[in-house]
Amino acid sequence: MNQRGHLVDDAWYLDYAAGALDSEAHGVLMASHVELSDAARERVAMLDRIGGAVLDTRESAGDSTGLPFDADDILARIDAGEDGTLSRNAGPDPSGREDEDIVLPPALQAYLARTGTPVRWSFLGPGLRKAILWRGEAGETLWLLRARPGVSIPQHGHRGSELTLVLKGSFWDGDQQYRCGDLEEADPGVEHDIRIDEAGECVCLALTEGKLRFDSPLLRAFQVFTGL
Amino acid sequence: MTQHSDRTRPTAETAHLTALMERIAGRGDRDAFRALFAHFAPRVRAFLIKRNVPPAQADDLTQDVMMAVWRRASGFDAAKASATTWIYTIARNLHIDQYRKAVRASRLDGRDPVFQPPEQPLADELCERSESVTTVGAALGDLPDDQQQVLGLAFNEGLSHREIATVLKLPLGTVKSRIRLAMDKLRQKLGDMS
Repeated sequence: MNQRGHLVDDAWYLDYAAGALDSEAHGVLMASHVELSDAARERVAMLDRIGGAVLDTRESAGDSTGLPFDADDILARIDAGEDGTLSRNAGPDPSGREDEDIVLPPALQAYLARTGTPVRWSFLGPGLRKAILWRGEAGETLWLLRARPGVSIPQHGHRGSELTLVLKGSFWDGDQQYRCGDLEEADPGVEHDIRIDEAGECVCLALTEGKLRFDSPLLRAFQVFTGL
Repeated sequence: MTQHSDRTRPTAETAHLTALMERIAGRGDRDAFRALFAHFAPRVRAFLIKRNVPPAQADDLTQDVMMAVWRRASGFDAAKASATTWIYTIARNLHIDQYRKAVRASRLDGRDPVFQPPEQPLADELCERSESVTTVGAALGDLPDDQQQVLGLAFNEGLSHREIATVLKLPLGTVKSRIRLAMDKLRQKLGDMS
């Protein structure tokens, strides 16, 4: 039984649990996946125990008397109302959201609020909309895809790898179905043939490294305008 | 490999830390917080320093972690995770939220071009500890050295699997399969105990 359809390679859970992911975008994607998927949470919980064990060995800095602050400094800050809970819980919805019917995972909401990133949908293709959230220096793109039921995404490959997390609805890649919380990993060179499930709209969070590579020359020309 | 002989003290220490957390959550017990702080604040700071967080920022971040421990104490559930594991996850999450970009750039630069793997396997380091950590340490100790090395680079140095492949000069697929093998074995050993 391979892991496709639910989970990605263990290496990603290790990166996440160790706090070692390659970029903030990877962090947002993996944190969202862990929030939505019980199976992912289970993997991370086991790895977190290793993290806890490692933390416990970190005592070389000596006892707390060596720190330039003590517990009462923290308590004083809490007494002064510097609680943190307000800013954490009462955080307004990220500005510019025009998609109130989509519930984004808390990790993604927190990222959008923290970075002030608006979700602005634009045309990607028939029945397809995209919202680009972040572009990295190495050509990575973190983006949202919103697709109408039954829509097909023409066959394409990647110059880099791609991670796709289902936030709502489901899609099929070949005969494999991906549902809410599932994460698909596509290595460079993998050909996709994606069809959105008929049952409803599908929303995905994707992290793409390098540009998509469409097989059709027409789509390659069209790609100039889509920015992916 | 160091074997830990005393299995009672770990349980006692874990139970003690759990009790402190429950006193903080239940009645905002400040003495319990002071005791918990004395145990964890130096460890959190040392963990961050090891992750190349500059000392001044490590101080700030350690305070943020300890504040988060206080205000999120009601979310602590001893049935789900030990206090150590729970606080580790808070430290990790705040660390990646706040300092990822700055630390990121320097993580691989400045590293000796000829990478020297740590002398001591991760399991030995953990087995020397008198924590409930021994369970984890023992499970890690059963892994081949090359798998322990990969986990050690992730948790100790904060390297991603891609970076690990770079510093060890191994194909990405080799690193991924080492991680997969290690995880399969750990799942068997630690399976239902998380």
